[in-house]
Amino acid sequence: MEIEEMKALWSDMSNQLDQQKKLTNDIIMQMTQEKYTNKFKTLANYETIGAFVCFAILIFLILNIHKLDTWYLLGCGIVTMVFMFVFPVLTLRYLRKIKQFEIVNKNYKEVLVGFHKAKANLLNLQKVGVFASFIVIFTSAAVFAKIFDDKDFFMVERGVKEYLFLAFTLVLVFFFSRWGFRVYQKVANAAEAVLKELE
Amino acid sequence: MTKLVVSVLISRNNKNKMQKEEAFVELIKQNEGLIFKITTMYTDHYDDQQDLYQDIVYQLWKSFDSFRSESKISTWMYRIALNTALTRIRKKKRFGNSVSIDQVILKQTENYNQEFEERLKLVYAHVRKLNVVEKGLIFLLLEGKKYEEIAEITGLSPTNVGTKISRIKQKLKQQIVKK
Repeated sequence: MEIEEMKALWSDMSNQLDQQKKLTNDIIMQMTQEKYTNKFKTLANYETIGAFVCFAILIFLILNIHKLDTWYLLGCGIVTMVFMFVFPVLTLRYLRKIKQFEIVNKNYKEVLVGFHKAKANLLNLQKVGVFASFIVIFTSAAVFAKIFDDKDFFMVERGVKEYLFLAFTLVLVFFFSRWGFRVYQKVANAAEAVLKELE
Repeated sequence: MTKLVVSVLISRNNKNKMQKEEAFVELIKQNEGLIFKITTMYTDHYDDQQDLYQDIVYQLWKSFDSFRSESKISTWMYRIALNTALTRIRKKKRFGNSVSIDQVILKQTENYNQEFEERLKLVYAHVRKLNVVEKGLIFLLLEGKKYEEIAEITGLSPTNVGTKISRIKQKLKQQIVKK
């Protein structure tokens, strides 16, 4: 099939589509009333709930920080608190940027470049998040062990069972992080290829 | 484009809501095929296509007031529709729900022809294999747009449009030969 043949087919299809009117006035006006499938909104809602959970943990940690009585437990507490604050705030900020991305006064190229850059920022943050969670899982375990059970996570004696559980958690987190990183990397690479195409 | 649409677009002071709605509905009715073609090209699944269709209509309505009559209405529509397609989030692929252009596009018309539809499917299949930049360019070319107008919609220079389109033609040729 040559391009000219494609053009002719396309033109025939366009003519036939013009004859086939499906939309009614009501349907069209309904479409303008509300975006009932706004996926960014859904994503932002989940992230907002997540952010509230993080902030609740943050407040709980601030109220109990006096219980972290060694320098390393205090360090773990600070790392966990920073993560609980910075990560949701940045995620919501980048999501808002994508959600409010202006498309009306931009051309195809500007939209592609701008949107992919906004998406890349979010993806990079998610990538950092995947690795940061690897650390935070331990800092938070140490902090909560101290606050709830008054136990020092680093000094407590462990049996084989506990070490096995720890190793299992590590392996699980490692594979999850690697999977997450690869997914984000793939999307980011695709976005980069599009930007290169436009250069 | 009807006289009604033109009069509302040109008269910026016309704030009559009813008239604006009528003009908009008329505009969408006249161009529902255009929106359909874009949604079919940029989506793989029926639900996704429906979502994108609504998104495009919604974006057109949102920017209907800001449309200035100095640019062609078709240019404005193509721009908004293509930009909306670019900025949507894809839904996860699901089984058994893919958009097939048969039963959707032409079956309702009197001129339904299965062979024609099979060939159309082939065109869509080839176009869908292109990347997002190429897809936009080939769509505008198939729509019969000149390089200058494609350049205006895409923001690329006319020379760049020409170069890219000849590359796309080559790519399509190779795809077709491979099959």
